[in-house]
Amino acid sequence: MAFDTSRFSTLAMQANTRLMAGARLLRDRLLPRVADTTGNLLRLFAPAPATSGDDTHFLPNFCRGRAIGAIVLIAELLAVVITLITRRISSNLFQDLVLVSLFVQWIALSGAATLCIARHFLDKLPNSRALGFAYLLLLAVVLAVSEAAVWVLWLAGTISSPRPEWYVYFHIQNITVAAIINALALRYFLARHQLRQRTLSEARAKIEVLRSRIRPHFLFNTMNIIASLIRSAPDKAETAVVDMADLFRTMLGDSENLVPVSNEIAIAKKYLDIEALRLDSRLRVDWSVGKFPRKAVIPVLVLQPLLENAIQHGIEPIPAGGVISVRLSEENDMIHILVTNPLPRLRSKSAVTPLPSEHTLDNLRLRLESHYGDAARFMVTQEPERFSVAVEIPIRGGTP
Amino acid sequence: MRVLIVDDEKLARDRLRELLNEIGGHVVVGEGMNGNEAVEKAAELNPDVVLMDIRMPGMDGLEAAMHLMGMENPPMVIFTTAYDQHALHAFEVNAVDYLLKPIRKDRLAAALDKAKKLTLQQLQEINQAQETPQARTHISVHLRGNIRLVPVQDILYFMADSKYVTVRTANEEHLIEDSLVNLEKEFGEKVFLRIHRNALVATDYIKGIEKSTTGNWQVALSGLEKKLDVSRRHAAAVRRWARR
Repeated sequence: MAFDTSRFSTLAMQANTRLMAGARLLRDRLLPRVADTTGNLLRLFAPAPATSGDDTHFLPNFCRGRAIGAIVLIAELLAVVITLITRRISSNLFQDLVLVSLFVQWIALSGAATLCIARHFLDKLPNSRALGFAYLLLLAVVLAVSEAAVWVLWLAGTISSPRPEWYVYFHIQNITVAAIINALALRYFLARHQLRQRTLSEARAKIEVLRSRIRPHFLFNTMNIIASLIRSAPDKAETAVVDMADLFRTMLGDSENLVPVSNEIAIAKKYLDIEALRLDSRLRVDWSVGKFPRKAVIPVLVLQPLLENAIQHGIEPIPAGGVISVRLSEENDMIHILVTNPLPRLRSKSAVTPLPSEHTLDNLRLRLESHYGDAARFMVTQEPERFSVAVEIPIRGGTP
Repeated sequence: MRVLIVDDEKLARDRLRELLNEIGGHVVVGEGMNGNEAVEKAAELNPDVVLMDIRMPGMDGLEAAMHLMGMENPPMVIFTTAYDQHALHAFEVNAVDYLLKPIRKDRLAAALDKAKKLTLQQLQEINQAQETPQARTHISVHLRGNIRLVPVQDILYFMADSKYVTVRTANEEHLIEDSLVNLEKEFGEKVFLRIHRNALVATDYIKGIEKSTTGNWQVALSGLEKKLDVSRRHAAAVRRWARR
């Protein structure tokens, strides 16, 4: 007997271990996969995913009164629809509505409560998996509530057995309706989330562009210089303020504008005049401007960012300053721009002080790409002591 | 107070000078255009306060302040800046005073009233808080109350003995009070390679790694007759570096 007991307990332990392993497998491998697949299926008919990587989650917070209120309202509307289009359950339409409402609200509130409890868990998951899990959870809730409803009816004595003849049909009907409605609801939440994300990232991109155009360092240093000039040379201060106004008007304007080449050169020269106040004799510019036909147009602020980049990385870091060379010419209906600046001697070839990220240049390159497509060229050449950017754009401005 | 003004922009220096005149009670003893000049002029002119821009070509204001703090009687430092998000946050955290450009007269007067001496630690913490903490461009050597700035790119090696570290360039040798561990951490092994418990050599100057007649590894440096011993413990790391 003693032998038997121990054998039995060993078997029981083994069975237990296997069961645990199975449960773990279900939890760790199978469920996430099912959730993923479900989520992806739901995503199939969702709009293109917006840029992800944001912290907010697509599911609304179902622990909050507002969301619950909305759910109660929607559930009630659904109950009305169901009551109107189904066969009469009782003799009285109003009584039907009460019964259906009770059942639908029960499911809806249980679902909201489940999502509220599961919130912390769902928040940690990637979107498509969370979507799948939420969907499966809601279907499970429907199944459980339907089953509970049958039991309540049986215990209340309304039906004679917990397995009435309509039992299977009842479950299938509920699950099907829930599957469709939940899919629609989740799909709506996802779409709303993606729309919000896109609006957000567009707004951020706009701010980023503006900030890259108006460098705070340039702005405040120039204001300091103007404050100084107001005492010593009021006329120079006046010119600086007016130049700044012109420059900022252009920077705040529409970047899609096409302007004659001479306009762009004029605004670039105003910018250089302002920088020259700060940098004094350290900034020397060697201009060479060829002849341009009158029809030659160029997107606004193409030349100025090139000069700004040259000053930022080529003149400011060198104590003695240097010469920026600017070449503009027209050839075969293409406008050629070449800006070259010196580079500071690196402290040591290994003591890397990487050039600050080339935001200015990246922005310009992207702008030219979106404006001209393949028709424009943008080339950067870095030599040990020189850095140059060459831009070639069609003379007629392309299609904005 | 005796004030030294350091800014790479002439008009910015002019403005400070004029504001100081209006405030009264201060003498501008000199002006500098970059960090190197700040250190040289501070050693020569002995100012009470240095008004210094942070961003300057060559040596920046932060590094210059670090060298100043090594002086026997360091001046007080007030930084000026147009816009440096990261630096400003670090300044707040470390209670280091700064002035924002365009500079206001009353703010300047208040800053001069409560100006205080900085500590090397404050400056190092500010440097660490930067987006890319900068290694020094120069090592400051103190000679009888004077400061000598040795460009890091000229240094062949650092050699430690019991108390001091010797800095060796092609033509000179200086003693500094620093530790090889700190130097190694600051510059990283890309710039100075540890070849011995007591030696860091500049990777840029390594000409070759050879075996001596006694079977020990040695490093030959360009511009230097004698060869430096590689300790057994560092031999593997040195050869790994050479293979790259």
